[in-house]
Amino acid sequence: MSVYFPQKKLPYLLVLPQLIITAIFFLWPAGQAVLQAFYREDAFGLSQQFVGLENFVDLFSDPLYYKSMLVTMVFSFSVAFLGIGVALWLAVMADRVIRGKMVYQTLLVWPYAVAPALAGVLWWILFDPNIGPIALFLDRIGLHWNHFLNGDQAMILVVISATWKQISYNFLFFLAGLQAIPRSLIEAAAIDGASSFRRFWDIVFPLLSPTTFFLLVVNLVYAFFDTFGVIDTTTQGGPDGSTNTLVYKVFKDGFIGLDSGGSAAQSIVLMAIVGLMTVIQFRFIERKVQY
Amino acid sequence: MTDLVLKNIGKTYPNGYQAIPSIDLVIEEGEFIVLVGPSGCGKSTLLRMVAGLETITQGDLLIKGNRVNDKEPADRDIAMVFQNYALYPHMTVRANMEYGLKNRGVPKEERQAKVTDVANMLGLDELLDRRPGQLSGGQRQRVAMGRAMVRDPKVFLFDEPLSNLDAKLRVQMRVEIRQLQRKLATTTLYVTHDQVEAMTLADRLVVLNKGKAEQIGTPMELYDKPATTFVAEFIGSPSMNLFDAMMTEEGIVLSDKTRLPMSHAHRGSVIWGIRPEHLQQSDEANADFSLQVQAVESLGAETLIHGLLEDGSGQPKPMVIRLAGPHLPEIGSYMWLIAPAKHWHLFDAVTQQRL
Repeated sequence: MSVYFPQKKLPYLLVLPQLIITAIFFLWPAGQAVLQAFYREDAFGLSQQFVGLENFVDLFSDPLYYKSMLVTMVFSFSVAFLGIGVALWLAVMADRVIRGKMVYQTLLVWPYAVAPALAGVLWWILFDPNIGPIALFLDRIGLHWNHFLNGDQAMILVVISATWKQISYNFLFFLAGLQAIPRSLIEAAAIDGASSFRRFWDIVFPLLSPTTFFLLVVNLVYAFFDTFGVIDTTTQGGPDGSTNTLVYKVFKDGFIGLDSGGSAAQSIVLMAIVGLMTVIQFRFIERKVQY
Repeated sequence: MTDLVLKNIGKTYPNGYQAIPSIDLVIEEGEFIVLVGPSGCGKSTLLRMVAGLETITQGDLLIKGNRVNDKEPADRDIAMVFQNYALYPHMTVRANMEYGLKNRGVPKEERQAKVTDVANMLGLDELLDRRPGQLSGGQRQRVAMGRAMVRDPKVFLFDEPLSNLDAKLRVQMRVEIRQLQRKLATTTLYVTHDQVEAMTLADRLVVLNKGKAEQIGTPMELYDKPATTFVAEFIGSPSMNLFDAMMTEEGIVLSDKTRLPMSHAHRGSVIWGIRPEHLQQSDEANADFSLQVQAVESLGAETLIHGLLEDGSGQPKPMVIRLAGPHLPEIGSYMWLIAPAKHWHLFDAVTQQRL
């Protein structure tokens, strides 16, 4: 639908506030990042030197950058699959609850209200090798836990911390998705002789696939870009970069390593990844799964 | 041989609400039984109890002599057609029809042969590779029936299968369902709220009201001898005209003091009924009573005349008559009518039971 304005200026005036906000808070800093990516700056920010693509060349010849990429992949997909799997399981269970349904569902949604940094601290304490109850329990059953030394354990810790919060979000979508499936379909499948296991995998899960795909993209984006707080409060990217995701590396190299040019170059790569994910999201989710 | 026996079947919900107090029904092999009643009468609940989708809280349900109360729906050897068809939207028509066979471990060749057979019978051959979303309402209905038929069950259950179709298609599918059922000779339990559907399909009808079976019988039994005023009003369209009356020595006295001679042992308050199609026009001298015309519905082949039965009480009673062919009486004019005694229906005013 299009609306026609008699004056030429009014429509521009109406979208101006939005344009200004976008320009100041997005375009300008993004432009700064792009510019910085082509400069090398001294640690005190006093002098700049144009270096062309050198920052990018450095970046892509740095084995640590590839390690960080791998770490990010492992971390993101673990968070997405674990988060979706657990949330789906909880939603299926919650959908079956008859008594006290509201209480159960409300409790499951609560973790979403916890700030990422707090979620990190919470799990960090639970898993602390000296005082954490879970770490002590693991020690007792013969599993020595120390995420300060063991990279795999550090990864497990950040995955759990990041997933825990996201489960609530996924749970809400799955529950809504489940409730949108007509009961008669499940009943028809029961009459057709499908066990509850088969009913889930043949009927329910395929019908939830649009929801699942949407959540997969959202969770990947979350794990990629929105887990800085979790990592910063638990492992700070360590030990030995084993939980140093791309986003955390941007922060670390830029603000701790004071390499603003390299950090800016990494930001540009991240921007490209966001763009790609957005395209995927629009191309596939907008189309929906057809049936 | 009896196929399906409902023995003192009842349903009480956990909250204490008694949906169905007790129903007894013996269904012969190949019979087409229609459960009919207004919404909320418990007909769908009863069907779902037979299907195993609702628990039975009282009585026994026997299929081919086996008590199946506690069996899973899949183990009862029934197939059900749902009101919204309940086709699996992500599967092709073929996969929809095959699903039940697949779950029962029927080998692939046999499955395909059966699906092809049934698809042929229902004219679905062209549609086998489509998904339900690409089908019209009538086609979906047919697929739902096909899915029930491939399994070759002992009992078909239909839950208002035609209510989502337009009027013309409904009539067509009604005829088709009847023909198919005759051909397959599978015992069928069919739920509807539409009395025309019920009358045309059923070998025997069960009229349900508030969870109770008001009457069980063939369509013509119910039409000719309704057991209660509820059945009398429910079966037949337009409904039977019912009037409060007194039974006296001289016959029936309507509230307007109209006397209709009849000898009957019963005395006291009764409800007197006559169907709209049994009232006849006559002249003033022979008429039993007169009717003031209020509205005329001309349907071409027949005419429905809504009028008021005048009486001295100041509360004229509405009455409908149905005459063959076109008639155009003036609104407000009077018609003289005869109510032939052989078409009368008499009910006890208190128990509402037929006398």
